[in-house]
Amino acid sequence: MHDSKSGASLKAEFVSLDAEGLAPQETPWQEFLRIFKKDYQALIGFWVLMLLLVTALAGKALTEWWVVFDPEAVRLTDKFLPPLSVPSPDSLPADRPFGGVYLMGTDELGRDVFARMFQGSFVSLSIGFVAVGISLGIGVLLGGVSGYYGQDKVSLKTVLIGIFLGGVLFYFNWNFLGYAIIAMLLLTWIFRLSVDTLIMRFTDAMMCFPTFFLILTAVALLPPSIYTIMFIIGLFSWMGMARFVRAEFLSLREQDFVIAAKALGVPEWRIIFRHMVPNALAPVFVSATIGVATAILTESGLSFLGFGVPPPDATWGNILSDGKGFIFDAPWLFFIPGLAIFLVVLAFNLVGEGLREALNPKLRSR
Amino acid sequence: MAKIGVDAGLLSDAVIGSSRDNRSTMWNFIVRNVAQRLILLVIVSFVAHSFIHLAPGEPSEVDPMNPRMKPEDIAKIRAAFHLDEPLYVQYAYWIRDLATGELKSFKDSQPVLPKIWDRFLNSLPLFILATILVWTWAFPTGIYGAVFRGGMYDRGTVLLSYALISVPGFFLSYLAILWVVGWFGVPVISIKTFGMEHAELPYKIMDRVWHLVIPSIMAAIGGIAILSRYVRSQMLEVLGQDYVRTARAKGLTEDAVIYGHALGNALLPFVTMFGLLLPGLIGGSVIFEQIFAWPGLGRLGYEAILSRDFPIIMTLNFIAAVLTLLGTLISDILYAVVDPRIRLH
Amino acid sequence: MFVKRLLLFIPLTLVIFLVQSYFWVPTYENQAAGNPDRLVTYIEASIGDAKILNPILNADSASSNIVSHVFEGLLDLDEDLKLRGRLAIDWQITERAYLLVNPHHRFPDGTEVTGAKLFQKIHQAWKAGTIEGLQDRVQSIELLPSGKRSESISLLLPNAEGKPQLKDISVTIDVPERVALTLSEVDQDVFDRLQPILGERYFEHFPYDKLIHPQAAVPQELEEPLRAKFPDILPVGEHNPTILFHLRQGVNFHDGHVFDAGDVKFTYESIMNPKNLSPRTPDFEPIKTVEILDPSTIKIIYKRLYSPAINAWTMGILPEHLLNEEALTREKQDRGLSEEAQKTFGMRESRFNRHPIGSGRFQFVEWQGDEFIHLRRNENYWEGPAQYQDYFMRIIPELFTQEVEFRTGAIDFYGAQPHQVDRYKNDPTYQWFSSLGFAYNYIGYNNRKPLFADPMIRTALGMAINVDEIITYLVYGEGKRTTGPYPQNTEWYDQSIQPLPYDPQGARAIFEKAGWTLNRDGWFEKGGKIFEFTLITNNGNPIRKNLMTIAQNAWKKIGVKVNTQVFEWAVFLNDFVNTGDFDAVVLGWSMNIDPDLYQIWHSSQAGPQQLNFVGYKNSRADELIVRIRQEYNRDRQEELTHELHRLIHEDQPYTFLYAPLSTRVLDKKIVLVQKGSDGTEQFKKIYPTKSGDITFYFHKWRKLELTPDF
Repeated sequence: MHDSKSGASLKAEFVSLDAEGLAPQETPWQEFLRIFKKDYQALIGFWVLMLLLVTALAGKALTEWWVVFDPEAVRLTDKFLPPLSVPSPDSLPADRPFGGVYLMGTDELGRDVFARMFQGSFVSLSIGFVAVGISLGIGVLLGGVSGYYGQDKVSLKTVLIGIFLGGVLFYFNWNFLGYAIIAMLLLTWIFRLSVDTLIMRFTDAMMCFPTFFLILTAVALLPPSIYTIMFIIGLFSWMGMARFVRAEFLSLREQDFVIAAKALGVPEWRIIFRHMVPNALAPVFVSATIGVATAILTESGLSFLGFGVPPPDATWGNILSDGKGFIFDAPWLFFIPGLAIFLVVLAFNLVGEGLREALNPKLRSR
Repeated sequence: MAKIGVDAGLLSDAVIGSSRDNRSTMWNFIVRNVAQRLILLVIVSFVAHSFIHLAPGEPSEVDPMNPRMKPEDIAKIRAAFHLDEPLYVQYAYWIRDLATGELKSFKDSQPVLPKIWDRFLNSLPLFILATILVWTWAFPTGIYGAVFRGGMYDRGTVLLSYALISVPGFFLSYLAILWVVGWFGVPVISIKTFGMEHAELPYKIMDRVWHLVIPSIMAAIGGIAILSRYVRSQMLEVLGQDYVRTARAKGLTEDAVIYGHALGNALLPFVTMFGLLLPGLIGGSVIFEQIFAWPGLGRLGYEAILSRDFPIIMTLNFIAAVLTLLGTLISDILYAVVDPRIRLH
Repeated sequence: MFVKRLLLFIPLTLVIFLVQSYFWVPTYENQAAGNPDRLVTYIEASIGDAKILNPILNADSASSNIVSHVFEGLLDLDEDLKLRGRLAIDWQITERAYLLVNPHHRFPDGTEVTGAKLFQKIHQAWKAGTIEGLQDRVQSIELLPSGKRSESISLLLPNAEGKPQLKDISVTIDVPERVALTLSEVDQDVFDRLQPILGERYFEHFPYDKLIHPQAAVPQELEEPLRAKFPDILPVGEHNPTILFHLRQGVNFHDGHVFDAGDVKFTYESIMNPKNLSPRTPDFEPIKTVEILDPSTIKIIYKRLYSPAINAWTMGILPEHLLNEEALTREKQDRGLSEEAQKTFGMRESRFNRHPIGSGRFQFVEWQGDEFIHLRRNENYWEGPAQYQDYFMRIIPELFTQEVEFRTGAIDFYGAQPHQVDRYKNDPTYQWFSSLGFAYNYIGYNNRKPLFADPMIRTALGMAINVDEIITYLVYGEGKRTTGPYPQNTEWYDQSIQPLPYDPQGARAIFEKAGWTLNRDGWFEKGGKIFEFTLITNNGNPIRKNLMTIAQNAWKKIGVKVNTQVFEWAVFLNDFVNTGDFDAVVLGWSMNIDPDLYQIWHSSQAGPQQLNFVGYKNSRADELIVRIRQEYNRDRQEELTHELHRLIHEDQPYTFLYAPLSTRVLDKKIVLVQKGSDGTEQFKKIYPTKSGDITFYFHKWRKLELTPDF
């Protein structure tokens, strides 16, 4: 095995299997639930997230499909009303907010902040989920391949696949990247390097860059859209994921049940997807939960620097960054989205921490 | 910044085994590590250069909205910046100019490297102080959390550290500025108080220190929270080891067990994390330097992004990556030196 | 345990050390009060850093701000926006006109055109006074012999990949005999006046092919574009307006070197030097030659009629002795650059751009990148030193922190937004200003699209927007309705034109008249297609983003479906505006004082990469635009611009929204110091001049210790 002591010990909390345990009296799931339920911080976080999920779906439905709360209605005469105030008498009846009151006040165009936050909850959350989905996909793929095929040398087949990939890049006029990939594959083939080396060196290279700066550059140079932002955040945050999926696979590969399955002649794809992936999933899930939190924070950071999701999509990040200019005039425009982001990110982090504790038998045994 | 923990152990190919102190294997180990990093350097330079050119748009100096700019003039400027050449030619130009130190910024035609060096010196105190804050605070916090596991203190610090990493950095910074300026009426923005040229030296020094305080705390918060979590779990791990039980059984005091036996072993892996702090500090500094009007690397990068000053962006990314590589190299070697269990191969 | 204590001791000591530094720092109050230097120091906040401190190279506002203090031009604009001498004391504009002998033409009496004949006829008419307006303007007439000259013509053509590429072609020109007239004032109609002598169509069918010969064979595809350039390089009737500047004597640059005509000529040559890539080239391109008559007299001869050209001389003059070939060679050798870098080394690379030396009121002291730029007053300025001793531009990128610093007195001025100024209006410790500038905001419709082809539809769209409400609420009253393409504080703007009324009902009626009917969903529909388009704007300008949202909302109310999108500036320009591939845009123009609208409104400027991106086309407007830029008489120009303004207002190619007022706020302690002849000082309140600028008298500003009572 080719993993370092430092990596292994720091990652010990992700290693879910422990040989010295006694025969379980309850299923792992029951055990997990029992411990998770005892962690009231995580539990509160969990319910906050459930509430958020419902809010987000309702937000999508009630601001876009059936417009009960209109986030786009501009009422200049109702500009900067504080939370819980009622519309001015001369506003048009059609423009009145639902319930006749601005729950969270209005912004500089007299738009209903509650409606915007409501709509933004879906967008913000989907940015987090999609970005993490992308990084998860890349991370698990690269980490899994790297961990499972470990020391295997690059075969001609792989090189051919790489050349095909390079060709696809040429098609999109990304010639330079195409050349780079093909050259790298050929080099590894010539020097008889392993897939693992190849992928991990690339991961290491990507890891050397300051992630936020890289994301900022990419987002600033590409046409701004919500998809660009999701995609870019995902694209530049898979490295950690890949590294420990690899570590997980490396250790799983040596486990008895995998060796047994191999000996029984179970097909490779079945070993990977039926036996190894589910076992590696738990720690990945922990990391993904925290990843969502990071993605939401990253989006708000980008918004702050002026490269967030462009209108008409409202996100908590861009409501907050629009509001920062009016901190003395309309503080609620700054504090409401700021606190909302804080609570949600905190909830994700606490749930992540709770999951980690509950999934880690080594720590829980004491 | 939030990546620090998970990435620990990056690049370290040292392997645990029987202790075998051998000078030549040490050299082999170093040579191997350096060679690997040279290869990485090449990949890094490819990535730093190419990814910027995948995007559309051009330097803002080519301003098509200048009402009197003729297409002829724009064509001339593009030619002067080699923008019409194929990518690999541009890459070659970049590497050549970088190596000779004559790489010029698009924006003002000034050499890039001295510019980055100036800003690096400005950012350095901020990096250093933030790093010191992270390391000095994370350890006691994490150790106490582990020792009093599950108690009020532990739960409190867990919650607090999660709360701190959950606030958007700029939100917290705005609150801090409002609070400090509103209550104490002292300047917090920029690198020093304006108009202190005639003050005496101790005042000047302390003034600079004061201006470091808030931005470095802001930059350190995330690091403290994350690192203390790792210290805590690392301590828990070690406290469960047999030799700790043995020490306890010997009847040593709890303090002697924890600080004498457990701590040293728990700390070792953190040596490798030193190098990994760097990209986080550079990346994270963009927002803080922007808010605190700090003329550092992050600002330089941000301004360069705004004006599409490609040479600066590419070089900054590249230098950040090189520094990280250096940092990890040093920590790997350090680790190999301190940890007798490592077999160098 | 020692380790345990150490682990606690270190962080705590660190924190105590950090916190105690607080007690060494002066509070804001101490900085402002009890510091006499602060009263003669002016600190301004800027969002971004300057890029390049060279008057011929800078292109951003922070740089031009600094450059305007350090450098001085030959002229500037006075309080009433009239030209005023600075480095020049005085100037005269005259004209020299040349008329080529056109051998293909016959005089109205049927005789052949020859040089002698032409000269004789014109001379006779001039002496006799038979042609109106000739005698009082023309000072002398002469006949010039034929000659030869060579020139290089630059053509911009797409190459095989479709990218534009420059081609230079050298030609030899046989210049035929010509009659030269010297005029006491510029007269764009001088050749028209000669029509009784020349007959009609004298200026057509000129035998260029016989007179212009390319020095090398020209590829076939280049022939046509080359021929199109001939009338420009050898016009049959050529106007050469001439400006004679008398320069101020005894002016020194900040390093003590004496300013003279050589510096003016050098500045011009540096701009035209293609190696410098100066963004000022287009302003100076109409110049034919610059002649130094003596160290304090210089003559500028222009190639053609272009009345705004003189405004270019407000640009700062460079010191020749620090930037000429010799000085640059010395610098590049000092810096020890490589061969390759030496070859490309030019003014752009010079250290001068970070340590500028000019002749203005302030001289450069220090520049800390992204931190501050420090200037100190020029004690030897020819008009006497300024009141302020030091000038700082601090770079503070966030508006929020700028405001915090402003409130605490650490900066004197920042670019306050209307909503911020609004808060200071009732505060007795501040003074605020709002004044009209040269900018206006508009919604531009792509006139080429059938949807917007009808001026009535464009008018209706304009009528649906409540601009007054936008002004009141969005910009806190800091805007003024505008009806046309000129800034309202210039005489070019016709004040009698009324803005479009806010009338959604009327707008609907217009739509219905044009055959659009409201469908069930509440959208206008014609022939099964609803009236739907996309409104776009650029990223990073909150006001435009808000205008876009407001317009979308307003149009939704009358039944027009609008989608909105925001793009990053480069993408916005390259993919939409420059290619003409858009429906409608929210944008703003910042104009100058000159009345030339050629780039923005002339129909020839509607191609890709050009500024008439809305594709406005009106032949009368084209004619007016050309006449305006060739007219040197202000009164006649004014008549023409009023007509043009009305024409554009009727066509509504844009919905002209409003001209934003520049809003500013200053500490009330800053006043205008007026010195009497006996040395007594009087304090006056600062006021904006006609250009909307409050800094016109900046050199007379000073900060008092106590807030004055006015």
